[in-house]
Amino acid sequence: MVKPLTEKSSTKKSKTSALKFFTAASFRFSAIALTSAIFLLIGTKSSAQEGFGSKVPSVTLSAPAIPSIIRGTPGKAELHFHITPGFHINSNAPSEEYLIPTALRMDAPTDIVVGRIIYPAGQNITLPFAPDLKLNVYSGEFSVFVTVRPLSSVLPGKYALRGRLKYQACDKAACYPPKELPVDFEVKVAKSTHHVRHDPAQSPHIH
Amino acid sequence: MKRDPIVLVIVAVAISAMLFFAVRRTHRKGANAPVAATGKLAPDFTLKTLDGKTVSLSDYRGKAVLVNFWATWCGPCNIEMPWLVDLHKKYAAQGFEILGVSMDDVDPKDIAKFAQDKKVDYPILIGQDAVGDAYGGIPFLPGNFYIDRSGKIVEKGFGLIGKPEIEENIQKILASSPNPQNAGN
Repeated sequence: MVKPLTEKSSTKKSKTSALKFFTAASFRFSAIALTSAIFLLIGTKSSAQEGFGSKVPSVTLSAPAIPSIIRGTPGKAELHFHITPGFHINSNAPSEEYLIPTALRMDAPTDIVVGRIIYPAGQNITLPFAPDLKLNVYSGEFSVFVTVRPLSSVLPGKYALRGRLKYQACDKAACYPPKELPVDFEVKVAKSTHHVRHDPAQSPHIH
Repeated sequence: MKRDPIVLVIVAVAISAMLFFAVRRTHRKGANAPVAATGKLAPDFTLKTLDGKTVSLSDYRGKAVLVNFWATWCGPCNIEMPWLVDLHKKYAAQGFEILGVSMDDVDPKDIAKFAQDKKVDYPILIGQDAVGDAYGGIPFLPGNFYIDRSGKIVEKGFGLIGKPEIEENIQKILASSPNPQNAGN
C-alpha cells in the first residue's frame, strides 16, 4: 500500500525535479540569450553609428503659424527651419560663386502673388586647414520670410502655398550633395478691416 | 521563485525573434558593404574628360593613382585641390597620377572653368553615379581612393584630412610594386 504511494510520490518527485530542471534550464537559456541578443543589437547599432558619415544632415521646417493677410495687401509668412546639429548650409549669399546658395522656390499660385523672399544674413565661418577661406552659412535655426499678396478678388479663407528649399550641407570636413525640402504652408486671407461708411443721407434706400 | 513556463516560452520566442532580426540586419549590412575595399583591386571605370576624351582607370596600371571624387560646390574639396596640384607636380615624375572625378550636376564648361581657376593639371573626369556606386557609394565629398601600381586600393577616406596625411598616402602607393600577382581581388 505504501509502495505504490512511494512510487507515485517518487514519480511525482522526479516529474517535479524534471520540471524544475526544465524551468531552471529555460531560465538560464533565456537569460543568456536575452543578454546575447541585447549585446548583438547594441553591437550592430553601434557599428552602424561608428561608420564615418553615419549622421546625415537634414533641414526640417517647423509647423508654420498661419498668417492672416488682408486681401489686396502684402503680408509675410515666416518659415522657420532647423539644421541637424554639427552641420551648416550655405547662406543665400555664399562667399564663393561656386557654392550652392540656400534658396526657396515657390510654385506660382494663381490668385496669391508671391513677392520678395527675405533670407537672414549668414554667419561667417572658417574651416580647418583654411583660415583665410570664409564661408557664409546658416547653422542651427533660421527663418525665411515670404511676402505674399492675395489679389483683391480672392475669397476669404485658407490658401495653401507650395515650394521647395534647395540647400547643400557640409560639416567641417565634408560636403553632402544638394537636397530639396518640400515647403508647404498656408495663409489665411481675410477681408479688409476698413469698412466703407455709408452715408444714410446719400443712400437711395432709407428705411 | 516560481517561473511560469508559458512566460518562459514567450520570452524565448521574443529572444529568438530579436536574434533573427539582429542576424538578418548584420547580413544585410554585409551585402551592402562597399565593393571598393582596401586591399582589393580598384573597380575599373571608363569616363569622359572635360575635353571629350575617354579615360579608363586601367590605362594607368603601373602608376600610383589617386582617384579623387569632388565637386565644385564642395568647400573642403576646394581647400584640398591646390594641395593635390602641388603633390601631383611633386610626384608625377615618380609615376603618380590623379584622376579627379567630378560629381557635379552642372555644365562641364563650369567644371572646366573651376578647374582652370584652380590651375588643375591632372585629368578631370565627368563622374557618373554608377562609378560612385562601384566605389561603395559616395555619400559625401571629398572621397579619395589611393591605388597602388598593381591596381590595389591601399587607402581610402572621405572628408578633408591634412596635406601631410595625403602626401603620406601618396608615398605609400608610390612605394608599391607594379606586379599584379601581389594584388588581391
